[in-house]
Amino acid sequence: MLKKSGKRILRSPVTMIGIAVLTAHMAIAALAPWLTPYGSSELAGMPFEPPSREFWLGTDILGRDYLTRLLMGGRITISVALCGVFIAIVAGAFFGLAAAWHGGMIDEVIMRLVDTKVAIPSILLVGVLIPGFGQSVPVLILVIALVYVSGVIRTVRALALTIAPQGFVTAAVLRGESNLSIMCREFLPNVLDLLCVEFAIRMSSAILLVSSLSFLGLGISPPTPDWGLMVSEGVGYIHTDPWLVIYPSIALSTLVVALNLTTEGVANALGLDAARGMTKG
Amino acid sequence: MFAAIARRISLSFLILILVSLFVFLATEVLPGDALDVSLTDDDLAVLTPEQLAEMRAELGLDRPAAVRYLSWLSGALVGDFGNTIITRAPVADIIMGPLRNSILLALATTAVAIPVAHFIGILAAYWRDRAPDTIVSTSAIVGYSIPEFVSGNALILIFAIWLPIFPATIVLYTDGPILEMLAVSILPVATIVIGSIAYLSRLLRLGLVEALVSDYVERARLAGVSEWRVVFTHAVPASLVPTLNAAALYVAGLLSGIVVVEKVFAYPGLGLELINAVLKREVPVVQATVFLGAVGVLLMNLLADLSIIALDPRVRRSAGRG
Amino acid sequence: MTTISRRAVLKASAWSAAAAYMARVGIIDSASAQPAPKPGGGLVYAVTSPNNRLGDATNGLHPHNWIDLANRTCYNALVWVDENLELQPELATSWEADDGQEVWEVDLREGVEFHDGSEMTSKDVVSSFEFHRTETSFARQIASVEAIGNHKVRFRLTEGNSEFPYILAEYHCMIMPAAEPDKIGLSGIGTGPFKPVGFDPRRSIKMVANERYWRTGHPYLETLEVVNRGGQMEGAVNGFLSGQFDAVTNIDPGFVRQFQGRDDTSIVYASGGDQALMILPKYDGSPFNDKRVRQAIAAAIDRDRIARIVYGSDGGWVGNDTPLASSDPNFLAYPYKYDTERARALLAEAGYPDGITLPTFYFAPYWPEIPRIFQVMSEMLREAGITMPIEERPNDGYRQWRVEDAEGTRKHRFAYGPVGIRNPGISLYRMRPDNNESGYWSGESAERYMELYAKALVTGDPSARREIYHEMQEIAFEDAPAILPVGRRNILIHKSNIAGLDNHPQAWSIRFDEVHRL
Repeated sequence: MLKKSGKRILRSPVTMIGIAVLTAHMAIAALAPWLTPYGSSELAGMPFEPPSREFWLGTDILGRDYLTRLLMGGRITISVALCGVFIAIVAGAFFGLAAAWHGGMIDEVIMRLVDTKVAIPSILLVGVLIPGFGQSVPVLILVIALVYVSGVIRTVRALALTIAPQGFVTAAVLRGESNLSIMCREFLPNVLDLLCVEFAIRMSSAILLVSSLSFLGLGISPPTPDWGLMVSEGVGYIHTDPWLVIYPSIALSTLVVALNLTTEGVANALGLDAARGMTKG
Repeated sequence: MFAAIARRISLSFLILILVSLFVFLATEVLPGDALDVSLTDDDLAVLTPEQLAEMRAELGLDRPAAVRYLSWLSGALVGDFGNTIITRAPVADIIMGPLRNSILLALATTAVAIPVAHFIGILAAYWRDRAPDTIVSTSAIVGYSIPEFVSGNALILIFAIWLPIFPATIVLYTDGPILEMLAVSILPVATIVIGSIAYLSRLLRLGLVEALVSDYVERARLAGVSEWRVVFTHAVPASLVPTLNAAALYVAGLLSGIVVVEKVFAYPGLGLELINAVLKREVPVVQATVFLGAVGVLLMNLLADLSIIALDPRVRRSAGRG
Repeated sequence: MTTISRRAVLKASAWSAAAAYMARVGIIDSASAQPAPKPGGGLVYAVTSPNNRLGDATNGLHPHNWIDLANRTCYNALVWVDENLELQPELATSWEADDGQEVWEVDLREGVEFHDGSEMTSKDVVSSFEFHRTETSFARQIASVEAIGNHKVRFRLTEGNSEFPYILAEYHCMIMPAAEPDKIGLSGIGTGPFKPVGFDPRRSIKMVANERYWRTGHPYLETLEVVNRGGQMEGAVNGFLSGQFDAVTNIDPGFVRQFQGRDDTSIVYASGGDQALMILPKYDGSPFNDKRVRQAIAAAIDRDRIARIVYGSDGGWVGNDTPLASSDPNFLAYPYKYDTERARALLAEAGYPDGITLPTFYFAPYWPEIPRIFQVMSEMLREAGITMPIEERPNDGYRQWRVEDAEGTRKHRFAYGPVGIRNPGISLYRMRPDNNESGYWSGESAERYMELYAKALVTGDPSARREIYHEMQEIAFEDAPAILPVGRRNILIHKSNIAGLDNHPQAWSIRFDEVHRL
């Protein structure tokens, strides 16, 4: 099964491009502090210096080295999205499995809370929680987790409901295993594929969300280098210095597209469908 | 079956109350109340705490949070959304115009998105895993990967500033004529469609791919029905069921998308009203706006469920039993 | 950069300013000073500053809820503060105070008509101020107002205020036709150069010229439309670029770069605008209790460099650590130089020989350049061994969050606050010990400062008052209760086929009387 999936991935050039770009992004994000010649908020030159040997991509509106900021600009967004989505996946898997397995009141309560969350536009959730609790990194992570957890619960529950009636589950029950052990030993291995795909889909969506928030002034706080922030700082100069907007936009878009293409390829190879999670919630 | 529907509807009420409770608690968490934010820093620099307390009492903002919430809820349950805090204007009057405009925007978007999504979805499903599928699916993913604030501003730059065809920012009054409103909403609609088409077309493709290999379609093929008729009269209707399932989620996503797009284009809709109401701590307006959005999502949920029951015999049977 | 740079003054539309000045002082009618401006045509302008008080369909025409405080299109006040912050008569012609500066008598202009043709008399002024003194925070100092005949009113204040005429020029204090307090102002009838004809307060207000306007020959424009783009800077500028708007007020100083060198656009700088206040809280345990730490921060900031980076060569001015603006005639230039050595020495003296790490400094993007100012400042302080972590907060609820619990514990935050341009008395009063903007400043210097302020309030003679204000600023230089490094000069852009549109350090005081199309 795994071998066959691997072959399918290798056969798809689009997926391979996705994986290559994604790997490059991850390598840059991980190594950025050692690649950059300047401090990310250091006023190394005059504002708006053109590209030169000192500043390969020139300087930004305050005179900071643009290459440094560009290389560093994905780290915080990716980390925030990663942590937030991880929490959402763990919590979503727990509550989704609990709802499916216990059924009855527990299922009812969990699913009605999920419905409630879905009926509230995420933009309101974010627009209220961030002014209320500040735009520090922990708050952002929790907001991301909250935004995505409901979708994960729904997906996991739906799959778990198809697993529950199967023989190996009944066998475990007859063996007298505890609920926790049934959830971990019988259900979890069977939803793991799905969780991985869910993780990747939500991840791309979360990166977009964090960047949008930074653009709107509700996300990452200056002076942290961040692509969304860099776009918003540069948007007034689009007619005179379009690169201030174009570079971070390209960085952001290639990351998200690569992530989506990879997810798509891997999900196809695993025989799962990646479309369901693609709501901009 | 009717029992199931009745249960759904009563649960929807419960959810609406939960939503309103959440919204109320959330607005309580925000620093400052309607009075604080209606005053400028200049005002606050000269007013004494006593004067502020007096003004707060006049507006009823000094009552405990629970009392304020319950008095709002008791009105809302009978359809009275109350008055705004500072200007005492009926909330219904304030949100009527924006509501009409947002519905207009949503309808226009749907009217464009559904045919386009079908076109792309059918194309991709029919030539599955071949060049047309790859091109269409990849571009859809690229469209999805661009945030609305980027695509919206790019459209403005191209079609309003470089080629002055459409207005860059909408200046119509909230109660502007419907046709004029539609005319200026071409760029906003395009922005939302670009962002949401990937999702819709992928869903359709998925449903179609499953339908195209089903026995049902296979039988039609063997009976000598032409290939295009197979697609349009057999596969497309069968693929609608899984699509409808996701429709409610889609509406919820659309609501958030509309908020951003309304802000980018200054479209006088409910989203812009919501942003302003949050900024001004006009809790009754926030409540009413979110309430309407939630009703929209729940209605779509209900409609989707009912259509699935109507379209899919298997579900019909099980719903009848449960 | 101590005051306004010369180049910028030259850049301002010089002839229209001169003509406007001569018209104001009554030397000549402005129409005859230059080839007479062509009457006719219209102007559409967008405002970008958010308005907290925006009304709705039933009360949005009231001057309290008027779109972005653009009151001087439809209404007039008794007094106008001109572009150089000098008092000019508007519906009043003269004013006089008693020795205690507590009773003010104001002569009203005769022959002024409201939009509906009724004559403005002292009855209307009294009725308007009966409303303002309960509803407008600045006017709460008015204890009573009464008519003396048809064209004179008398104000009694709760205490002396030598700068009371500035209050009469405030944006809310417009003159409305007399009515009951719950009805006054709702009709949208004023004495201003334009009268409203179409209106959606959240979107825009359309106006036509008032043919009864008391400044004969004005306005030149036939129509004026104010479009509300509060908090939507990009939308406003996009609308300008696409030709929807003729002008945009208060644009992001960073946006200027794209308009420089464009033939179709004029950039107009005001003589001043808001400045950035860095509040230094002085509760128990705060590092800012030590005067030397405060002085070290002041010495470690290269003010000229911040202004140059953030505002370019024309858009900013250097502050002097008091809430006075450099364009104020009472302003004293900051006496100390940028000196990291002095900063290090002061820190060592205060017990931080290896530098100091300050608490996190918070700011909100009230103006788009605020995050830029403090990013630059944080980097600069590093050079003097001062580490200042910074964090942005959303505008939404920022002020309430910043002073949270301050009343109880006075433990408010090390944070930014906006300081607008006002008369010197009100501005210097912001550093009072019981205001968190001063960080609850206390001690002998603070006491002396407040004694001087009390004296200024009852000093009628402007030059004597200026001496007092100078002394207050010198105290602030020495004690450094707060840091105010730089300020902005408001920027307005308009199409080159428009003339006579002057910018103003107080956005609400921009006049449209002289605007005409070329």
